Amino acid sequence: MTAWRILTITTFFCMSLPGEVIGEYSLDNRYFFNSGIQDQDKNHSSFTLSPELFIEEDNRIFHIKPKFRKDSKDAERDLFDIQELYLLEILEDKEIKYGISKEYWGVTETSHRVDIINQTDTSESFDGEDKLGQPMIKISFERDWGLLDIYTLIGFRERTFTGEKGRLRFGTVIDTQNPVFTSSAKNKRLDLAVRWSNYFNNFEIAVSHFSGTAREPRYLPSSRKFNQLSPLYEVIDQSGLEVQYFLGSLALKGEIISRSGQEDRFTAATYGFEYTQVGILGSRLDLGWVVETNHDDRLISSPSVIGTRLTFNDISDTQILSGLIFDERSEEVGFLLEATRRLGNCCSISLEGMYFDDTNEDNNETKLFQAFKEDDFLRLEFTYYFGE
Amino acid sequence: MSQSIYFYFRRTIALLVLTITLILSGGISANKGLEIAKLSDKNNDGYGDSSSSMTMQLINRKGDVVERKLAFKRLEVPEDGDKSIAVFESPRDVKGVAILSYAHKVKSDDQWLYLPALKRVKRIASKNKSGPFLGSEFSFEDFSFQEVEKYEYSFTGEEACKDSMCFVIERRPLDLYSGYTKQLVWIDKENYLVQKIYHYDRKSFHLKTQTFEDYRLYQDFFWQPKKIKMINHQNGKSSILLFEDVRLNTGFTDKDFSQNSLRRSR
Repeated sequence: MTAWRILTITTFFCMSLPGEVIGEYSLDNRYFFNSGIQDQDKNHSSFTLSPELFIEEDNRIFHIKPKFRKDSKDAERDLFDIQELYLLEILEDKEIKYGISKEYWGVTETSHRVDIINQTDTSESFDGEDKLGQPMIKISFERDWGLLDIYTLIGFRERTFTGEKGRLRFGTVIDTQNPVFTSSAKNKRLDLAVRWSNYFNNFEIAVSHFSGTAREPRYLPSSRKFNQLSPLYEVIDQSGLEVQYFLGSLALKGEIISRSGQEDRFTAATYGFEYTQVGILGSRLDLGWVVETNHDDRLISSPSVIGTRLTFNDISDTQILSGLIFDERSEEVGFLLEATRRLGNCCSISLEGMYFDDTNEDNNETKLFQAFKEDDFLRLEFTYYFGE
Repeated sequence: MSQSIYFYFRRTIALLVLTITLILSGGISANKGLEIAKLSDKNNDGYGDSSSSMTMQLINRKGDVVERKLAFKRLEVPEDGDKSIAVFESPRDVKGVAILSYAHKVKSDDQWLYLPALKRVKRIASKNKSGPFLGSEFSFEDFSFQEVEKYEYSFTGEEACKDSMCFVIERRPLDLYSGYTKQLVWIDKENYLVQKIYHYDRKSFHLKTQTFEDYRLYQDFFWQPKKIKMINHQNGKSSILLFEDVRLNTGFTDKDFSQNSLRRSR
């Protein structure tokens, strides 16, 4: 298999270079309690490997990080991606990054509205936090007036989607082979982005603008494959604002975007708070609360999330996350529980469960979790970290 | 070299003047406590910047030891608290996680956490610093710089400690979010180095004892312990910090402690 060969070669290449090699591989198994709506299997496992090389000298940093994923059931979930392959130059008055990289924008926890530099790898997980590497030239200035990042984004990465045999997907399969672009440059377009951020005591702010190919597509009936949808990638303009205010243990957060280029201009936002109780009931455990709600002009209603993070502060970094997602209009509820801990110095283990409530069958309105109603699952993941 | 001689003299003169003042005044306990704290704090002046590698040993009640490694850099900021950056090297799953801190003399410190897997920088809310650091018996607060202005002092007395005599002062954190109600600090009379701290929790129980061992003198003016130990009397666990490769005046500037530098720490 070509991807394997490339990966083996890159790994050995990395190891022969005079830098620091680290990385991780992980095995995960998802067990779904029911067969899928379209009769997909109950058991899915996958393997992920991502070695990483870091060379640092004087005012230069070189970083390579390929990622390889193989899925037992769904070929659309197989991945070979260059997450990082860049040279960073640190100059007297600025920093310049040339190459492929990941860049995170945003402050909220449960939904990421403003984050737009990288394409989302939705086939990895449906939380939207896994990204694909983006080729770019980034110039960054840091002064008394804040941090200013200017990006030239070279070319476009298409979104990944779970395939026909995969789980946790839309009712209709996405035809990733036949995407539609509105720009004549298709996926070769040069996109631009800029972000300014600063903080004033307990207040943090960032303002950004992106002009280029939408990372989040709309969908059209596929012209080649019957009963499938093609992603439609339009050229958009998106302005974003992020704010955060800290008051003792309380952090108030909000992200808002305004986007044009996909029919009417629309606004979407996520806002809420995070609060941590340090040393609950006189113990060394911390309990963090995240409460966030959403607004999106495109939808009749948006869900809210109440999450908790129980941190044990033990030597294994044990953590239990829970999340309750609910939609007032459709009265739907989803529940997520995730426990993680370290094993020795080398490894970590995580157990995750997700439950979608579909008791309100009689309600005929469009539902949020309609497509996931058979997708309650348990997932066990084991990760081994290598390198010193 | 001339710079270090300058600092050495400056400190010696300051010590002399203040010692004489102390003797002459005989002073009210609050003032005496503060003066001793100020003298002790002088030991932290003029280092410019420093780097070191830190090993943290976590020891449970049975005596099992687990190790963590961090790279640590700090920069002296005149007229304000210091800037520092700590990058985790082990355990492997947190390698590259970094914490950038800007300490302040009176207002709460600013701290940011960098998570390399998400490439995300997250600000740490100021109150959350009384919690344990890395699962150890040290709290975030024990790690931040203990600026003189952050406490209220009183002089308690003198006591034999180690090979010499120590001043014992009591200090009460002014920060509302501190996990301690008071601390007793032992400072030796010879070099004004902190030798021991008793930490009293919110219920005023003697929760932890911190000892500073094996002080070394760098560049003839800067004292730093090679070992700091924290014993938790409530749970029977302890943590030890060991400092290696301590270097002073390595030429760091604000740029090495910027938001961008946090993002490139891995």
